[in-house]
Amino acid sequence: MERDIEQLNSALNSVKVLRSNVRRIFDSVSNGLRADHGDDGKENKFITELQEILTTVNTNLRDVEGSVANLTTPGGPFSLGNTTYLSQETTLERQALYGQLVNSYKWTDKIREYSALAGNILAANSFNKSYKTFSTTKRRKTQTSNHNVSPEVIENIITNVDRLFPDITLTTSRPFVANPLIQASLGRVLRGHIAFKGLMIEWVVVKAHGESTDIWTESRYKVFRKVTENCHAAMCHFHSPMMPELAVRSFMHWFHSYQNLFSVPCKRCGNHLHNNLPPTWRDLRTLEPYHEECK
Amino acid sequence: MGVTILHQFPVENRTGPAVIELLTKRIAALGAVQHGQFLVDCETYSSVPQLGHQRTVHVLHNSEQPATVFSLLETGTKTIPLATDGLFDLLMMKMSSFYTSKKQTKAESKGPRFEIGDFCVKLGTVTVSSNFKGILVEVEYRPCIVPQMCWELMKEFLQGFLGSSVLSNPPVYFQNKMNDVYTPIDTIHQYLEHFTIFRKSPAGIRT
Repeated sequence: MERDIEQLNSALNSVKVLRSNVRRIFDSVSNGLRADHGDDGKENKFITELQEILTTVNTNLRDVEGSVANLTTPGGPFSLGNTTYLSQETTLERQALYGQLVNSYKWTDKIREYSALAGNILAANSFNKSYKTFSTTKRRKTQTSNHNVSPEVIENIITNVDRLFPDITLTTSRPFVANPLIQASLGRVLRGHIAFKGLMIEWVVVKAHGESTDIWTESRYKVFRKVTENCHAAMCHFHSPMMPELAVRSFMHWFHSYQNLFSVPCKRCGNHLHNNLPPTWRDLRTLEPYHEECK
Repeated sequence: MGVTILHQFPVENRTGPAVIELLTKRIAALGAVQHGQFLVDCETYSSVPQLGHQRTVHVLHNSEQPATVFSLLETGTKTIPLATDGLFDLLMMKMSSFYTSKKQTKAESKGPRFEIGDFCVKLGTVTVSSNFKGILVEVEYRPCIVPQMCWELMKEFLQGFLGSSVLSNPPVYFQNKMNDVYTPIDTIHQYLEHFTIFRKSPAGIRT
């Protein structure tokens, strides 16, 4: 491929040289005798000049023939797929579409190339801010996709989580087959509505026990609105595309620490209330309670 | 409906309105916003002697649950709570030949209602048959439904604006209910307990 293009380039170049030299012949022929040929034997001089140029053209022509002979003929007509039909477009403003199409094709090509490079670099240097350590045995279990898994796998994980925390009661509903929506009742403290996208936690809303189970409206209580906010932060923090199962488990572990939302004072200031709110933040590693302002 | 604690604020030689004004200033300084007024009233009926063993029915209304009438039937050995809709008032009128009301005992607590964060604070002036008896402060922490979980937190809040008059232990009423789910009837029980004490106290101020 690379060689083909090189040959094509050199052939085009030699054609260009040939054309320019042929142009010189016509130039000098059309000008005829000029003042710079002098007085004595000017015809002879003119003829010699013409002969010289013709010789160059001859060599050029040979070059062209040589380089053209080197070219490999492409096998059959190019297949442009559906884009061929673009050439039949009659409206003026749409005739430019083919160019744009080619441009966007080039862009996608570049994106592929760059993302492959970036992927390689990022894989070599881990920028993960969490405290997880990647052991080689775990890495072997890597799943390529975490939003397109079979419902049984998710079901298994939910059952495991349910078994892991006796004071979290999980109720699962599946409005969309693969993506369950679970209601996690944490003791008598609060109820979390967690929406999954495959194995990925996609949305969390925390509400009081008596409130509606709708996942799009916020709680009417400030404290649960704050907890919802913090749950979103934790959801992003624990998110791990490499180990979706671990992400879900660590999130639930962290969520479980809210069971003492109202009963423990802040670890830093020692008070229950700050801005009329209990400590709504739980440290991501130690699970210690802090006020929003104290953490 | 969250956990509610009813606290009697000592009046100490001041007039009712002066105390309410003082508390209003304090709670407003903490950032509370007034949301209307509230009223809790209580009327007591006794069964006529022909019915045999005397029973007492306390009928209470709470503006927080405006469509509900609460009643507590005291048989002497136990208290039976009942939550019904508004028609119960009319039923009591029909039964006026069996249960007669003691006119002198209508108790009321009313005053401004404040919201601050998730707390709801009500400053009530208590009157028994329109005589001033004292001040009852009601504090509700709405997100929490189990007294055990939020007592410490509520104590901190109460002490924050009522000062040292707040006891360090939960009210007696909660002693056996700390781990139960709190319901509106519990608030009514607390009001009735306080009203009963206010009624018994001699004219004027209860200490």
